[in-house]
Amino acid sequence: MTSWKRWLRPANRSRALFVAGALTPVMLLFFVFFILPITASVVLAFYRYSPLDPDSPFIGVRNFLNLVSDPVFRKAVRNTFYFVLAAVPVNLLITLPIAIGLDGVRRRWLRDSLRAVYFLPTVAPIVAAAVIWAYLYQPVNGLLNAFIGHLGIPRILWLTSAKWAMPSVIVMSLWQDIGYNIVIFLAGLEAIPSVFYEAAKIDGAGRWHLFRNITFPLLSRTSSFVLVMTMISYLQVFAQMQVMTNGGPHDSTRVLALFIYDSAFRYNQMGYASAAAVILLGVTLLLTLLALWLTRRMSQWEY
Amino acid sequence: MNQARSRGAVGPDAADLFWKVLSLTLLLLGAAVMLLPFLWMLLSSFKTPVEIIRTPPTFWPENPTLAAFSTVLTRAPFFTWMRNSLVVAVAVTALVLFTSSLTGYIFAKFDFPGKQALFVLVLVTMMVPFQVVMIPTYLIVARLHLLNTLWALIIPSAVSAFGVYLCKQFIEGIPTDLIEAARIDGAGELRIFLTIIIPLIRPTLAALGIFTFMASWNNYLWPLIAINDEHKMTIPLALAYFTTSHHGARWDLVMAATTLMVIPVIIVFLFFQREFIRGLALTGLKG
Repeated sequence: MTSWKRWLRPANRSRALFVAGALTPVMLLFFVFFILPITASVVLAFYRYSPLDPDSPFIGVRNFLNLVSDPVFRKAVRNTFYFVLAAVPVNLLITLPIAIGLDGVRRRWLRDSLRAVYFLPTVAPIVAAAVIWAYLYQPVNGLLNAFIGHLGIPRILWLTSAKWAMPSVIVMSLWQDIGYNIVIFLAGLEAIPSVFYEAAKIDGAGRWHLFRNITFPLLSRTSSFVLVMTMISYLQVFAQMQVMTNGGPHDSTRVLALFIYDSAFRYNQMGYASAAAVILLGVTLLLTLLALWLTRRMSQWEY
Repeated sequence: MNQARSRGAVGPDAADLFWKVLSLTLLLLGAAVMLLPFLWMLLSSFKTPVEIIRTPPTFWPENPTLAAFSTVLTRAPFFTWMRNSLVVAVAVTALVLFTSSLTGYIFAKFDFPGKQALFVLVLVTMMVPFQVVMIPTYLIVARLHLLNTLWALIIPSAVSAFGVYLCKQFIEGIPTDLIEAARIDGAGELRIFLTIIIPLIRPTLAALGIFTFMASWNNYLWPLIAINDEHKMTIPLALAYFTTSHHGARWDLVMAATTLMVIPVIIVFLFFQREFIRGLALTGLKG
């Protein structure tokens, strides 16, 4: 630990000046746009606050109690869990085999081009992806219904029926962001030393054994990282719902982030929305702790 | 990314070949599925207003036309949106690169009272979902009279906790002797930073810069909150606004606008693919 006194010595003055001069504006921005809002959000959760209403009383945990009994909020929580619990496992079940497949492609150019193709949707603006898929899902002249029409299947109301809306948004979301996890898995696979595989093959191990006893354990750190990061990012899913369905039909795609946005910016209930945001923060922090715990546990597999 | 490895130590047999063919087929099929929505977007943008509403839809445009593009470019302030997006993305990227490398350098190579606490404070902000900070941020930006200006999109994004963390990690690997030697030679602190540190972390900055640019270019939620003046909108905001407000009316125009918005990003990506993917794999960064 350095003391203030040492820092004020003339020899160190230019260094101290540099540190103070550079750090002050940056930390000021961090304070105004990160620390202050986080704090304010937690504080607002205990007030009835609307920018249109001059009166904003402290109401204790009333916002939280109201949330718990608000059917729309409960629906939003259920929908968020539906999205996370359905999309995360499917994501991992798709991305890991694709990464393993890509890892097995010997030709460099082919592997790189395929990886680029799978990654492409992640770089496109999510709004663009949502608009493209909204068009694909059009009931009358959308490509998807035209395609299943050819197979003799009757039209499906992809985005306009409460039953199909969420699965449709999930498919779009997976298309949009499996590229991230494929690239991360692929990097994890490429880091596994090939001697392990060669040794096992000499011992006569089959394909499944190689996966079960080498790939899977050695990839567990990457997998747990991917799992938790995907969960955290899916908990915050927003744009595709807002653009494609705006939460409908019958709130079937109203997720937590959309609930917070609408409460705050359509209905001006900013205290109420902040309470919902605090709940989202709580869940995210729990998952972050889980991530830290998992990575520590998994580090026993370090090679 | 390492060199091609030989896993076929035992030698290729029938089963090996079968798996190889099967997996390649599936990979190519998957790749086609990934590309199809983009292809559909592109094809639809060349269709005439009459053809676009036909049921069932045609796949290839019968009379390919650029009419939709010219309508989007002349009737809507598309270039204004493009310029807004570009101004914001360039400004945010430049600011983030500067503030992240400078702050990362200070956290990596200087010792001062309260350093640990400040660094932890910065790290804590990294895991907080944007939905948690967006309401107070909106109120603060409103209080600063920045709503409906591009400043609202630039200033709050000028610092990045992730950027600081990333730069600190890489600068810690630079030998301190190098910095000390420069000091003895009489170089000023700012000069050491600009002429020694920056060149050494250029690959990191390249990855960080591309990610920051893309994130800014694609950002939707914050512009949605901070901007409602049509002439201050960024492209994603404008696209969502006009698609949802003129509901389903003119898909040829919507697809042309989407194409105009997607093509530049794809070109940038293909150009910087290596930095992009290396950066992602290196840091495990998620969008």
